[in-house]
Amino acid sequence: MTLKAAITALVAAKVRPFTIVLGAVVVLGLIDGGSGYFFSVGTLFSVMQLFATLGLVALGLGLSMLVREFDLSVAGIFSLAGCIAVMTGATNPWLGAALGVAAGVMSGLIQGVIMTQLNLSSVGVTLGGLLTLQGMTYVLSGNQTVSYPNMAVALGLNAPFAHLFSIRSAVALAVFVLAALAMAFTHIGRDVIATGSDRRASRTAGLNTDRVLIAVFIASGALSALAGVLLSYSLGAASPVGLSDVLAPAAAAAIVGGVSVVGGRGSPAGIAAGVLTLCILRSGLSAIGVPPYVHDLVTGAILLFIAVLDAPELARHITAWRLDRAERRAQALARNSI
Amino acid sequence: MTELALVTRFEKHRARVRHAALWVRLAAAAAIAAFALTTPGFLTPLSLNALFTAISFVGCVAVGMTFITLTGNIMSLALGATVSASALMFLATLSFGIIPAFLLTVLFAVIITGLQGFLVGHFRANPILVSIAALSLLLGGAAFVTGGHRIYPAGEGLAMFKGRIAGIPKEALCFFATVLAGQFILSWTRVGRLMSMVGSNFRAATAAGIDAAMIITAAYVIAGACAAVSGVLLAARYGSGDMELGAGYDYTAIAAVLVGGTGISGGSGSTLRTLVGVTVIAIIEVVLLLRGFSEQLQYLITGLIVLAVIMLHAAGEKR
Amino acid sequence: MPVLAIAGVTKRFGPNTVLKNVSLSLEPGEIRAICGENGAGKSTLVKILTGLYAPDEGTVTLGGAAVDIASPQHAQELGIALVAQELSLAPALSVLDNIWLGNREVPLFHRRNSLRVRARAALDQIGLSDLALDTPASALNIGRRQLVEIARMLTRDARILFLDEPTATLSDVEIERIFKALRALKAAGKTVVYITHRLGEVFDVCDTVSVLRNGELVGTRRTAEIDRQQLMELMLGRSAGEMYPSWQSQSGAAALAVKNLQVPPVVRDFSLVAERGTVTCLAGQIGSGAITVLRALAGLSAVATGEVEVLGQPMRLRSVLAAQAANVQFISEDRAGEGVFLRLTAERNLVATKLRQHTKWGVLARPKLRETAAKLANAVGIDRTRLRSPADDLSGGNQQKLAFGRWIGGTEPGVLLMNEPTRGVDVGARAEIYRLIREFCDRGYCVVMASSDLEEVLGMADVVVTMYRGGQVGRYRRGEVDMHRALADITHPAAAA
Repeated sequence: MTLKAAITALVAAKVRPFTIVLGAVVVLGLIDGGSGYFFSVGTLFSVMQLFATLGLVALGLGLSMLVREFDLSVAGIFSLAGCIAVMTGATNPWLGAALGVAAGVMSGLIQGVIMTQLNLSSVGVTLGGLLTLQGMTYVLSGNQTVSYPNMAVALGLNAPFAHLFSIRSAVALAVFVLAALAMAFTHIGRDVIATGSDRRASRTAGLNTDRVLIAVFIASGALSALAGVLLSYSLGAASPVGLSDVLAPAAAAAIVGGVSVVGGRGSPAGIAAGVLTLCILRSGLSAIGVPPYVHDLVTGAILLFIAVLDAPELARHITAWRLDRAERRAQALARNSI
Repeated sequence: MTELALVTRFEKHRARVRHAALWVRLAAAAAIAAFALTTPGFLTPLSLNALFTAISFVGCVAVGMTFITLTGNIMSLALGATVSASALMFLATLSFGIIPAFLLTVLFAVIITGLQGFLVGHFRANPILVSIAALSLLLGGAAFVTGGHRIYPAGEGLAMFKGRIAGIPKEALCFFATVLAGQFILSWTRVGRLMSMVGSNFRAATAAGIDAAMIITAAYVIAGACAAVSGVLLAARYGSGDMELGAGYDYTAIAAVLVGGTGISGGSGSTLRTLVGVTVIAIIEVVLLLRGFSEQLQYLITGLIVLAVIMLHAAGEKR
Repeated sequence: MPVLAIAGVTKRFGPNTVLKNVSLSLEPGEIRAICGENGAGKSTLVKILTGLYAPDEGTVTLGGAAVDIASPQHAQELGIALVAQELSLAPALSVLDNIWLGNREVPLFHRRNSLRVRARAALDQIGLSDLALDTPASALNIGRRQLVEIARMLTRDARILFLDEPTATLSDVEIERIFKALRALKAAGKTVVYITHRLGEVFDVCDTVSVLRNGELVGTRRTAEIDRQQLMELMLGRSAGEMYPSWQSQSGAAALAVKNLQVPPVVRDFSLVAERGTVTCLAGQIGSGAITVLRALAGLSAVATGEVEVLGQPMRLRSVLAAQAANVQFISEDRAGEGVFLRLTAERNLVATKLRQHTKWGVLARPKLRETAAKLANAVGIDRTRLRSPADDLSGGNQQKLAFGRWIGGTEPGVLLMNEPTRGVDVGARAEIYRLIREFCDRGYCVVMASSDLEEVLGMADVVVTMYRGGQVGRYRRGEVDMHRALADITHPAAAA
């Protein structure tokens, strides 16, 4: 296989996320230079811990992007669910978790219904949703950090097993596996991709696209809620988190993971790879001792690169430029030969 | 029924719907005004001051956001960080004098947003993504340059930004001037008209011979200038700066734009309406505060109102 | 007992009544054609019966029981299947997934062997035996996409099947296969409703034909008891001649010369010469390349190459600005997506290209702009009181007039390109648009038009160029070609140049 063909295959949208993960590992390994900071159990464990939180949110956000929408409210439900769980789950952690996830389901349901019945774009609705959810979090928590007294749960969730995993990251991985299986083997996956690929056509074909949209937003809400619940439990506290803390990395992870912002392309496996990449970069870079701002710069650069790579008109411009150049050469040749 | 009679009946119906929407808005505005005016302490200098402050800084950003939204690019999540970075830039270049510092700051902000506009306009890259990327780069870049320290003024002259003219704080006057300048561009210039066309339908604008990519870049450039103004005002007020200054402005700004009545899908918009949106949100916040609602409830109620207004606007637009 | 009956169905969109009091009934095992011109209401009727629209008045009865078909899903439950005019395949899915997309009987685990087998059988039945089930839909050309849609319809266990202009992109051979499949359905007792304006097909495969004119059902006949001429008169309500203005054919200087135009992947080696003061029609179905050629000449294609001369000067391709600088103007086939700014007012639409002339120091002279808009509205026959309405409120015909009005008032007559100028336009406005086209010609414009409506082509053209799958088939002067010849050209594969 020629080099060009190999590169094209590796950069192809479906394979790209995995190439990028490998690339990140290789680059960091090289920078690390064998000093053992990067390739250590501690680093890999912290990668998986980050994965536990970011992964679930990115999966939810990624699903909403698959149907050509964008759930801005993920950060809001993330904080709110964490708060609810911490406040109600002291004696019965399962109850707290259930209530938190239920809040996520409700939030997704309400927003989804508003969107489909009033035919609104998700940006406006989820923006309002975000502000409302954030407000609710402030009200519930009294604008203070709420502590979670059940230390057993907090420690248990984070206790490492098999060196690399904790219950939190295991749950996240299990969710990803379930999602991947559901998307690949049931018509759910096909319906989601169809709705994102061409909503009008799917509707004409008889698909209930409203139901698909509502289901996606319920999933997004539930996943972000679950992430918030687990994180708050494991931190032993919940607080109204900053707005951009979760949204930007989740979006970056989904996009690096091959999800197309205009819908119709992406998969849970790809999203997992994207999340892994970001977590590896964050943990790896700090393990090597690089200052934290480098992480922001690298994330930003990767996002920018992919945003341009996926830009619909990029190919058009390149082709047009090539043709212009060929024509100019032909004209110059013609002039010279006269 | 004859064709003509049917047409007239339909047009009358449409006009009635539009009038109804207008009445609802006026009624809502009247209700808010009544709510505000009957709140003890609202008309005091202290609370009015707070109001002016609340609207001036985020208001400039909202004006810039208006341009981004109405050209069909939904929103930018990087304007807040651009504000902070501009403030830092201004403080750092004050040693060259106020005017040069101001110009350098505007240039700086305009380059940052202009590059984003170039990618969005020419390659049709997703605007939200590009703004998230820019946000990360700005935060990382600023941390690199400042080393995490606060920036203090490198020169004199900030005092000229403080004080009032005719009882209104100078910052508010700057904001009003920005609103008027923005409205002038939108209503009276060719570029403004082109922006509304590009926002309404990018493809149709291209087919009509408009350089749509350039227009979008121009919209982003204007947004950058507005962010620079906000950053300069913030730097002048607080006398020092870090990247937290503009944090959270993006969401408030887009909320103000939507509450003011600019549609999220682009094509129509007005900075005067954004002024109304900013004012409404600020009034609600101040009134809630004065009436003893906790800060948390303010946040929640503002969020609910924004959601309700967005739904109202959209329902009004529906057929 | 009729399997489907409708009574008094009326549908309005804004100020237009698109269907007026339509009643008809269908028997099992019947193949019914529904005919009518552009804008007669055929597609709207189908959309009502398949759950995409709700009627404003009237009843729909299925097997004797009144029903309210609420959505495409509901229609499926009721045993109704549709092949829509706008293709409805999801590009990101495979052929197999597209065939089963939206099908209610698909179980949760959806790639079972039984589904593959049935999809394969449907594809084989219409001659796509060489198409692999896992091919992504985006890789198919338009003709194959149409056939996959028909395969989808065949896998639905439906008793009534609607096909809306199903042969628009197909060759003779493919069309015959469709007919075979339809006859098999008829033999199985199913009912088929076949929307078309291709009169030949009506007589080839349908038992009965209903004619819609201007939203009203003007008659239903057995195809054995009527001939083509009578059918046409039913459709038009008058002799064909009154629709199109008459004129003196003039010959002018060559205004447009195209050599070796390539627009991959559709158009190869296309050449054309068009003269001032004439209407040249590129006649072809969807996928024939006619629309692609004109879009490329308007500068909208990023991949077009070739030599183009306009009014003697060479013109650069791939740039809209270059085309407009060369005095080439374009009216798009995609009115809503590209031709008109739906949310802006009619006034703003009309002056969209005139802004420079009304600008001083960057500022617009708004009163003068309004005056110009009023003049343009007059010139195209739009009521001045409508100027302040959003373009979305206007009828399709009036919106199209906005698109035309935009190009009036240029300094020097140039080349006017238009794709499907009367698509979705009601009959009254169509006559006005044809008049407008002729006016442009009289003023010295060179008009080049791409159309899939052969009646329109034969009625309007000084020169007819027939196209098939990217290449020119024939070139005729007015009077040298008739409907039969033209139709053969645009559907017959063997004649491709």
